[in-house]
Amino acid sequence: MSKVGIVSYGSYIPKYRIKTEEIAKVWEEDSKEIVNQLQVNSKSVPGPDEDVITMSVESARNAINRWGGNVKDIGAIYVGSESHPYAVKPTATFVAAALDAEESLTAADLEFACKAGTAGMQMCFGLAKSDMIEYGLAIGADSSQARPRDPLEYTAGAGSAAFLIGKKRVIAELEGTYSLTTDMPDFWRREGAIYPSHGNRFTGSPAYFKHVIEASKKLMEQLGSRPSDYKYVTFHQPNTKFPLSAARMLGFSKEQIDLSLVCKEIGNAYSASSMIGLANILNYSSPGDRIFVTSYGSGAGSDAFSFLVTDMIEEVKSYPLNVDYYVNRKKYIDYGVYVRFKGVLR
Amino acid sequence: MEPPKIWREKRQRYLGIGVKCLDCDYKAFPLTSFCPSCGSGNVQEYKLAEKGRIIQFTQVNQTSNDMMANVPYAIGIIELEDGIKVTGQIVDIDYSLIEIGMPVRMVLRVLSKDGTEGLIKYGFKFIPVD
Amino acid sequence: MNNEDVFIIGHGMTKFGEHFDKSPSSLASQALMETVTNAQLEKELIQSIFFGSLVTNTNSQASVGASCIRECNLSIPLTRIEAGTASGAAAFQQAFQGIRSGLFDCIAVVGVEKLSDFVNSSTIEKILGTTIDYSWEFEMGATLTSLYALLTKAHMKEYQTTLEQLALVPEKNHRNGVNNKNAQFQKEIPLERFLSAKRISEPIGRFDPATHCDGASALILASSEFVSNNLKSNDLTEVLGLGHASDHLALHHRESLTALSATQIAAKNAYDMAGISSADINVAEVHDSYPIGEILAIEDLGFFPKGEGGLAVEEGKTKINSEVSINTSGGLKSRGDPFGATGIAQIIEIVEQLTGQADKRQVDDHNFGLTQNVLGTGAMAYVNVFGKKEVKK
Repeated sequence: MSKVGIVSYGSYIPKYRIKTEEIAKVWEEDSKEIVNQLQVNSKSVPGPDEDVITMSVESARNAINRWGGNVKDIGAIYVGSESHPYAVKPTATFVAAALDAEESLTAADLEFACKAGTAGMQMCFGLAKSDMIEYGLAIGADSSQARPRDPLEYTAGAGSAAFLIGKKRVIAELEGTYSLTTDMPDFWRREGAIYPSHGNRFTGSPAYFKHVIEASKKLMEQLGSRPSDYKYVTFHQPNTKFPLSAARMLGFSKEQIDLSLVCKEIGNAYSASSMIGLANILNYSSPGDRIFVTSYGSGAGSDAFSFLVTDMIEEVKSYPLNVDYYVNRKKYIDYGVYVRFKGVLR
Repeated sequence: MEPPKIWREKRQRYLGIGVKCLDCDYKAFPLTSFCPSCGSGNVQEYKLAEKGRIIQFTQVNQTSNDMMANVPYAIGIIELEDGIKVTGQIVDIDYSLIEIGMPVRMVLRVLSKDGTEGLIKYGFKFIPVD
Repeated sequence: MNNEDVFIIGHGMTKFGEHFDKSPSSLASQALMETVTNAQLEKELIQSIFFGSLVTNTNSQASVGASCIRECNLSIPLTRIEAGTASGAAAFQQAFQGIRSGLFDCIAVVGVEKLSDFVNSSTIEKILGTTIDYSWEFEMGATLTSLYALLTKAHMKEYQTTLEQLALVPEKNHRNGVNNKNAQFQKEIPLERFLSAKRISEPIGRFDPATHCDGASALILASSEFVSNNLKSNDLTEVLGLGHASDHLALHHRESLTALSATQIAAKNAYDMAGISSADINVAEVHDSYPIGEILAIEDLGFFPKGEGGLAVEEGKTKINSEVSINTSGGLKSRGDPFGATGIAQIIEIVEQLTGQADKRQVDDHNFGLTQNVLGTGAMAYVNVFGKKEVKK
């Protein structure tokens, strides 16, 4: 029986960037200290005509074009985000229409802070493994908002990643997945509120680290694997420091996680964060490599995954619009343009 | 902003769906129920080429309120690789760097927003091919 | 006189500009009553009225015709005609057909627009959006100004037309408009002002486009029989030829960006009907809503070879009493552009020129005149050719 896994992947990062130092200048903060603390040099900023729908579509099209199959075989589309353009009216239906994947499929939008995208991957793995669908498309996308002057302003970035999941032409088999979920008031945004609120240092050890570490340990326990069995690892990247610390705590080396740390240049892509990390890892993977992934979503929960890269990876790796392409396609903007693009002026 | 109009135009705006005549091979955009050239009803949907070149372009500084968030922006006539010409915005590039003949490709972007409570209209725009 | 001849027996218009204190129908009534007086006619002799106006959905303009005939105490057939920025010329051509068909002997035409109510430029942009391909140009981000910018750039590229040549068009028209008491702007604007202005849609500068304003204009058309029975001897303007042609609505569907084929076809039809050629025209009012509009017009109407319009302007061949006097009224640029009223105001200028009433704007040779009124970027063009005729009893 063929195993379920990742069939294809695509990513999207907006072209615009704002440097940490440019934001620090506005608030007369010490930019060296902030960069040192967060290890984030710049963050991605969507253009004035970009949102979660447009970014989801671009990453999904990249996944589909990389794959080259028939979009009508997609049986499910899930889009995880905490910044869906509509409170009521799914992002997923736009994606279905923009891929020409209408009408025979199920679709829904998901919200679980920064891990709604990986929750969608789990749903697709389940549906595909049980043969309820042939292929499922899970997307994580965010155009995150941060209150001006809030520490979040330095990292709240934007981006999207899409994973096509199924049993045919699998490039990375799913070895196992485990989720840890608790109720946790570390980060929230009320209905109608523009900006999220958070618990500052409370978002650290009891929230991010507890969930990421425990979910990762539990999955490795279940699989009987160790950090050294993996070629690469990626975690949710609210900044660069957190995933590096988590890796160290679990016993992963800097070399294992380095490839995934796109946060340095694009900031925290929220629902897309760990997924863009995984997409970049896949670009550099070879058959036989094992990859470990753990997302984190405030509120709170972590989804951990273990993948085994197959020979099929070689057939899809050359697709040109990959994470590197988007990371390198950039234009720095100043704070004034940033404010205009974000629609902060009212 | 009229919901039925947005709905009936979605395939054209999101995917660039035009029409192809099965009798005379004429291709056209937007969608029609008969061939604009020979009048035959024997037509089928046709997906426009995603890449093309800029024929002519300029900049927009003033338009209706639902599109003002994007101002200033570049607009141009694009000749797609299949010979069909369309009007579209050219984004993700400084205006001063745009040139006639520049290769571009289609992306999906926000065209307009009907205030904060109305519908958001999406459609194709163009970015430079690098 | 031939039975089929159609004459313009009266004309009148409001000043064009900002009439914040007047409703659309009061402007229309004012123009109509002035025209009745000008024709020295009992208003009850008018059998039908055609109204030309563009804006429909707001500011009570939808029922402007009904309000106007009530204000003028008339109870006759009225029809409203919409052809975008060429609504005035469209209404005029309908009136001509009404008389030529023999159905009516005396018809009034009224063009009216009231745009100063739209204090938010967004509303005007949306209205102008209806004169281009609304779904596949306007909603994709193009505006009327930006499409004229594409036409301008295409002409500059193909024929080396310069920004100076383009700026000389409004510069000349403002000079002509100084002597037009009905013009919105009766003052000269130095060339340098056009050239140094901010570009609103490169290469179109801030002072290049005609302004969108308020105004009404009216004409009375009559058959030769009506003229014989009701008028004293007079110099009248005869309608010699009409042309009306259409083109693709969207610029991207057109074969050429350097010519308006609708103007070319409409002009040929009008000349053929009149039995004259472009060389016979002494004075013409053309659609100069943007400078390139006048350059395209003088080429497409056959006054100058294709590509030499800019040069003709530069060499002064379009000034009053030059090769062909273009926009002696000041054009849309100096007169202001209340869409529906524009096409009729153009005809009024030709009537005044042909009958020797143009005062300081008067051209020496005035046997034949022409008007050209355009919808949007040239999706429709209306060309009319006029001659003068002495009517004796």
